[in-house]
Amino acid sequence: MVILASLVVPAAVAVWLLTAGRGLSHRAANLLSMAASVLTLWAVLLAVILRPVVDRAWVPSMGLRWQLAVDGISAPLLLLVAVLGVGVVLHTTDRPPVGGTSPTFHACLLLVELGALATFYARDAVLFFVAFELVLVPMWVLITRFGDPHRAAERADAGGRFVLYTAFGSTLMLVGILALVAQAGTADLDVLAQGAGAGMPVHTQVLVAALLTAGLAVKVPIFPLHTWLPSAHTIAPTAGSVLLAAVLLKMGTYGLVRLPLATLPDGFARVAPVLGALGAVGILWGGLACLVERDLKRLVAYSSVAHMGFVALGLASGTRTGLQAALFANIAHGVISALLFVVVGGLKERWGSADLETARAAVREVAPRLGFALVVGFAASLGLPGLAGFWGEFLAVYAAWSPAENRSTGLFRTLAVLAALGTVLAAAYSLRVLRRVWAGERGTPMIADSRDSEWDVALVLVVATVVLGVLPGPLLSMTSGAVDTIVGAAR
Amino acid sequence: MARLVVLLPAVAAAVGLLAARHLDRRAAHLVAVGGSLLTLLFALLQLVAVHADEPARAVRTLAPLHAGELRIPLELQATGPVALIAAVVAVVTWAVQAFAAWYLRDDDRYGVFAATTSLFSAGMLLTVQSADLVLTLVGWEVMGWCSYLLIGHWTRKESARRAALKAFLVTRLADVGFVLGVVALATHAGSTAYPTVIASYAGDSPTLPMVLLLVGILGKSAMFPFHDWLPDAMEGPTPASALIHAATMVAAGTFVLAQLFDLFAASGPARWLLALSTAVTMVWSALLAFGQSDLKRLLAYSTLSQVALMLSALAAAPAKEGPAAGTLHLYSHAFFKALLFLAIGWLSVTVGGTAAALLRGGQRGHLFIRPAMFVGLLSLAGVPPLVGFVSKEHVLAAAEVGTIDGQVRPGLVLFAGLLTVPLTAAYCMRAWLVLDDLGRTAVTRHDTDTATVGVRWAVGVLTVLTVVGGVIVFTPLLDLRGHVSWWAVLMSLLLVVGAALGVRALSGGEDPAVRLVGASMPRFDTGFGIDRLYLAVVANPVLALARLVVFLDREVVDAYVRGAAISATLGGRGGHRAHATERAASGLAWVVAGVVVVGLAGVALW
Repeated sequence: MVILASLVVPAAVAVWLLTAGRGLSHRAANLLSMAASVLTLWAVLLAVILRPVVDRAWVPSMGLRWQLAVDGISAPLLLLVAVLGVGVVLHTTDRPPVGGTSPTFHACLLLVELGALATFYARDAVLFFVAFELVLVPMWVLITRFGDPHRAAERADAGGRFVLYTAFGSTLMLVGILALVAQAGTADLDVLAQGAGAGMPVHTQVLVAALLTAGLAVKVPIFPLHTWLPSAHTIAPTAGSVLLAAVLLKMGTYGLVRLPLATLPDGFARVAPVLGALGAVGILWGGLACLVERDLKRLVAYSSVAHMGFVALGLASGTRTGLQAALFANIAHGVISALLFVVVGGLKERWGSADLETARAAVREVAPRLGFALVVGFAASLGLPGLAGFWGEFLAVYAAWSPAENRSTGLFRTLAVLAALGTVLAAAYSLRVLRRVWAGERGTPMIADSRDSEWDVALVLVVATVVLGVLPGPLLSMTSGAVDTIVGAAR
Repeated sequence: MARLVVLLPAVAAAVGLLAARHLDRRAAHLVAVGGSLLTLLFALLQLVAVHADEPARAVRTLAPLHAGELRIPLELQATGPVALIAAVVAVVTWAVQAFAAWYLRDDDRYGVFAATTSLFSAGMLLTVQSADLVLTLVGWEVMGWCSYLLIGHWTRKESARRAALKAFLVTRLADVGFVLGVVALATHAGSTAYPTVIASYAGDSPTLPMVLLLVGILGKSAMFPFHDWLPDAMEGPTPASALIHAATMVAAGTFVLAQLFDLFAASGPARWLLALSTAVTMVWSALLAFGQSDLKRLLAYSTLSQVALMLSALAAAPAKEGPAAGTLHLYSHAFFKALLFLAIGWLSVTVGGTAAALLRGGQRGHLFIRPAMFVGLLSLAGVPPLVGFVSKEHVLAAAEVGTIDGQVRPGLVLFAGLLTVPLTAAYCMRAWLVLDDLGRTAVTRHDTDTATVGVRWAVGVLTVLTVVGGVIVFTPLLDLRGHVSWWAVLMSLLLVVGAALGVRALSGGEDPAVRLVGASMPRFDTGFGIDRLYLAVVANPVLALARLVVFLDREVVDAYVRGAAISATLGGRGGHRAHATERAASGLAWVVAGVVVVGLAGVALW
């Protein structure tokens, strides 16, 4: 019941905003969306606590069912989505969107939230795919309609690139899902995971796992399929960037866990070295690109590529520690990148551009609150212990150093060394930004400090970053049961 | 108790940060000094408790972490050396907080500084009390970050921004080794608890993990070739330097290695690496210290030399003697180095800087600074019965035992140590001659000294501890198994006195460094261009690689994406054009041709 409520509420409000509520003022649309997202958050909270199950027939002739449930792997992600769902609406309160009507903007935010929630609830492979695709169009609208108002051509380019690139990935994934479902005779993800690919020839497993991994890798994104991300982030409005980094990318990694890793462990074991190597290359690639990148928002986007590299590495290691690391790093990146995009988006709004070479007032001097949030965000980004980024990345390096028995130890230890070197690059680009943006003696031109809704959102994210860093225990134990089941079934 | 010792400064940091944002500097001051005093109280209680009864081996903190196959129990420990060093850290932190409140009295960001200092000490205390590799790593990295914030405290100064960046990046690069070392040790044991890790290596050689771990320690302790960040870190406020040099960051590595000494002693290559690095650092930085034009940088180089000495004890000490000599030197160095930094910081406020030329004769007539400097420099030079003498002799004795057995590595350490002793005495004498310049007629007026009671107490307590701290060797807190021989004492005393008298005789009423080093002083100041070497070997190649990556990202990786779009567009346009020019008849002809082909194919295949 609560699961359905958490899906129906945003869906209904979004549809109403797009149809009958088109003429609503910004304030009204915002209040309505706020109510909807808060209700959704409550419903998700209840769902996470009560863990109900929805199971209804959908397309009986094909054996498809409405199967929705919550487990240890999806629970943290659901909470993340629901909290950020409220966060982005709150952040929009003082910022009437430019480029389209306010109800459309809010409807898009709610639709993205709906799609993400449905993706994480889904226990049916085809339903998962449908939900996965649901976020594409509202996100496209957010980028092309509500993006950076000064750069129309780049908006179209970024939006088109985003849709075509991810749709291409989804096609590969769809082929993979259909092959998987056809071979196994069921679309139930739990049954598929219990079967663990039994009865399938190994080469089919490898092929299907490779298709699924490649398709999902676009969304994560994993090197070299990442080039849609920087342009989308640069152009998207702050709320869009937050959803993109904290919600959409997570759907990719979640899919990797649910589909190839859980259902085709033997096939995935063959794909994993490639995935791990590409993850490690992504860590270095993203880190190096950040060292010379001039646009602050693009820089944060490239840093996302590096951070998702750690997630890929953890997944590829094939151990329970690796999977725990990946799931933790996933959530941590969601929180940290949301924080960074709120701050960096706020800076771009105030500066008029996000160019790092332009001489500006030091943020520490003129906007201490924004400066503080920026420091926390980049400190977390470089993996400082006591903040959220540390645990996932440390455990990912550990997992790569001691991979599962059927993985090549030599290769994975090399990857562990590369990943550890990547943390130095993270430190270098984080401090580069702080030295350029935060520290300095200039006091002009003056910019306004963060207040009201923007500061509320940033503060909540700062607190979440610190709490996850100081107390990693609850999140790790939340995922540990489900992780044991998945990796246990694979053995 | 152990939990409170770590928790209190962390809480003080959090509250202090809030106070700095929302209240005035008085509140921030109260939180910082009060927090450090409470921490000191509990550290001393812990010391008494450890002394009184059998120590509680493991102290639980948070619930153990379930990270898949890896067990992370997150436990602390409270043994004799741990409690002792925790108390030393707490004393120095209190002295630094008391001093900083006055030193930064006109600084608008004093509150943030005080809170960061509290956090810094929390990181160090966590590293000291930790019985878990992950907790050690947490404390270790927190210290690194705090050092970045403290060195770069004056963000309005370009040199401070650069020094902070350099300190963090150099240590972070070395920390790759530390992280991998921790990971490798944990992989072997399946757990991160010290006892489990040490037990798991019974009979196995931990060479690779210990070498990796050691690289991280060389970085944080600023040993060759990572040493150049530390002198630049003098850009930070003097209290921060006192904290970093005396009781935290650079000294932390010695203690971590002492805790893992059983593993370290079993790994010959790691010990060789440490012996080589410390021997080079010890002598080289003692030489450089002599030629510095700025006395604060002289102290920085002396830290390098002294930390090398304490680490070299671990490289040289026979396995059966244990790491106590290194820990003892950590203990004594903390007192006299904190004292020297606070004294020179105090003096710099009066005379307006720390350059040797400015400070000439500056301490004369000062009731507090002059005796403090006297005691501090004598202790640094290793004159009995001061605390520096006691610990230095123990380090040399540890090296001597191995040398007598005919081993090369302790011999190397002993040789370097015996070279360092006269060099140290020489630069200490130089510092004293500069500060106490008798030839200068005008005596600096100290009547306007505004130093608060807190400052006087801080310097006073450190002075007393520097004088009497040596009695620690008569307590059972440190398990000192080595034996100091009389002839070694005599020899190092002769070296100290000879070098000091030599410098004095050469000075002739001038700054001896100006007479001896003269025109090449600027080269001493830049550390003979190590900074340029860092840029040429690491920074510039990495940046060039980064530019290449950006180029490849745009022109190769993304070219496929754009290529797909362009070819689809071109294909579509071409198809459209071809279609538009077609006449209906020709289209019909194609259809007929197609039907014929399909028909023929059907016939042929049937």
